[in-house]
Amino acid sequence: MSETAVLSIDRLNKHFGGIVAVKDLSFEVQAGEILGLMGPNGAGKTTLLNMIAGTYSPSSGRVNFCGRDITGLPAHKLCHLGIARTYQIPQPFTSLSARQNILVATKYGGKKAAGMEHDKIFDLVNLSEQKDMLARDLATVSLKRLELARALASNPTLLLLDEVAAGSTDAELPRILGIIEEIRKMGKTVVLVEHVMKVMVEAVDRIIVIDKGEKIAEGTPGEVMKDEKVIAAYFG
Amino acid sequence: MKIPRLTTLASLAVLVVLALFPVIGIPLSWLNYLFTFFICLALANMWNLLAGYTGLICLCPHAFVGLAGYTLAIGSWVGVPFQAGLIAGAAVAALFALLISFPVFRMRGIYFAIGTLILPEALKAWFNYWRPVGNVYQGMGAGYSVTGVEGVTLGDTFWLGLAIAAASIFLVHIILRARLGLGLTAIRDNENTAASAGVNVFRLKLYSFLIAAFIMGIAGAAYYIYSPRINPVGGFNISWLLLPLMATVIGGEGLEEGPIIGAAIVTFLRFLLADYGAWSLFIQGIILLVVVVVMPQGIAGLLRQVGAYRFPLRLFQAVEGRIHENVK
Repeated sequence: MSETAVLSIDRLNKHFGGIVAVKDLSFEVQAGEILGLMGPNGAGKTTLLNMIAGTYSPSSGRVNFCGRDITGLPAHKLCHLGIARTYQIPQPFTSLSARQNILVATKYGGKKAAGMEHDKIFDLVNLSEQKDMLARDLATVSLKRLELARALASNPTLLLLDEVAAGSTDAELPRILGIIEEIRKMGKTVVLVEHVMKVMVEAVDRIIVIDKGEKIAEGTPGEVMKDEKVIAAYFG
Repeated sequence: MKIPRLTTLASLAVLVVLALFPVIGIPLSWLNYLFTFFICLALANMWNLLAGYTGLICLCPHAFVGLAGYTLAIGSWVGVPFQAGLIAGAAVAALFALLISFPVFRMRGIYFAIGTLILPEALKAWFNYWRPVGNVYQGMGAGYSVTGVEGVTLGDTFWLGLAIAAASIFLVHIILRARLGLGLTAIRDNENTAASAGVNVFRLKLYSFLIAAFIMGIAGAAYYIYSPRINPVGGFNISWLLLPLMATVIGGEGLEEGPIIGAAIVTFLRFLLADYGAWSLFIQGIILLVVVVVMPQGIAGLLRQVGAYRFPLRLFQAVEGRIHENVK
């Protein structure tokens, strides 16, 4: 394991009964890097994020975060250590306003989260005008941004973004790319699961492709797109 | 919406007037009604804290009430004064909540509800046979009278009930405006997201559960000072669950004023329907059904929807404005 690795995954496995969702997966993410995770539906991307964020514990294998073994720690502890995530399908606190949704993350996100400026986060994700609306009244696109805002509000070292661009129109993509660029400038490390190729190609430093729970390719966006295994996995 | 300080004064005034009731010659039956209302209110407030704000559909208030009542009664037989028995009862209820929290919090939603529902039944069976002190009744446990409360007047229990009810309102008010309230609401809305946002879901649920068990216990023990005889069927009676549940749902779950409105209605109904026996439950059930269908957010929810608070609040603000001008 190199010294600058923020996240280091070592032979991670996850079974659900007889179904293998993630199989012997190993990789590292360096500080400040934006790593893309790609793969067909059901490849195990979200399961992987769930294991890193503490929603599931792995069947076997290790997860290291900033040199510390975090395998199987509960979600709230991982949040305190500096891992934040968004959900693919937005999971807001529906009866709270957008501002209160974010307040939960700053009040409970541990010491590092104290003093996060909400207005800056709302500006960044372009939600300033809706911050006093109840989450249940927000449109899906706004809820996706609220997911991002809540993840940022706990001031994480590592951000796990699960399909933040999915469902966006082409016109909205530059905005999302802009947000990811801003997050990079904040010095955060990002693992990005995404189906929208434009985001993958333009925003990430490196891509890992998984299929049926196994890593089938790794490299820069350009390299991966030409990989025969990747093409086979996507087009059969 | 900023609540003017005049509302604080108004609530204090109501409290003072109520506290004066026993000394200004109010009919005793009124004190009886109001005492029942206070106990119901304290229970409902705590049930609302659990169901309305933490998302825990807790179906075991009768376990807390019965345990606290039995602690008070058994304590009184070994020379514990009722004041200490009151606190001890609440502490035992909270301790019981702590013990059951580990298994029951592993269940969520409806499973949590069912898991809690069986506990008072088990306790009822236990207290049928367990008799630690006093004479043995046909080899069984069963009832106890609370001794050492002969000197307690109706006025005393009235004040005790008032204090407990006021404390329960104040407690919920404080919790909702503190960091704890935000965390509890987050858990109610979405447990997974709350955990990813750093909320220690188990610990916060436990806080809420312990607070509710303690206050429900103290309310139950207060009732057995007022009516100093307890048996398993009465102490662990499901009506200790139905009272706060109906008060909260009819009044408005997850709304601060809901249990106050609901407890008033439920207590009033109980006395109105007291002569109708089993029909009383039937009628209360129908009222509950109608409320759930017609106003899912309860009466308080409906009042908020039609803006019923707007006029009194504006009036308060206007009066407060005048006062400020005059002070200048």
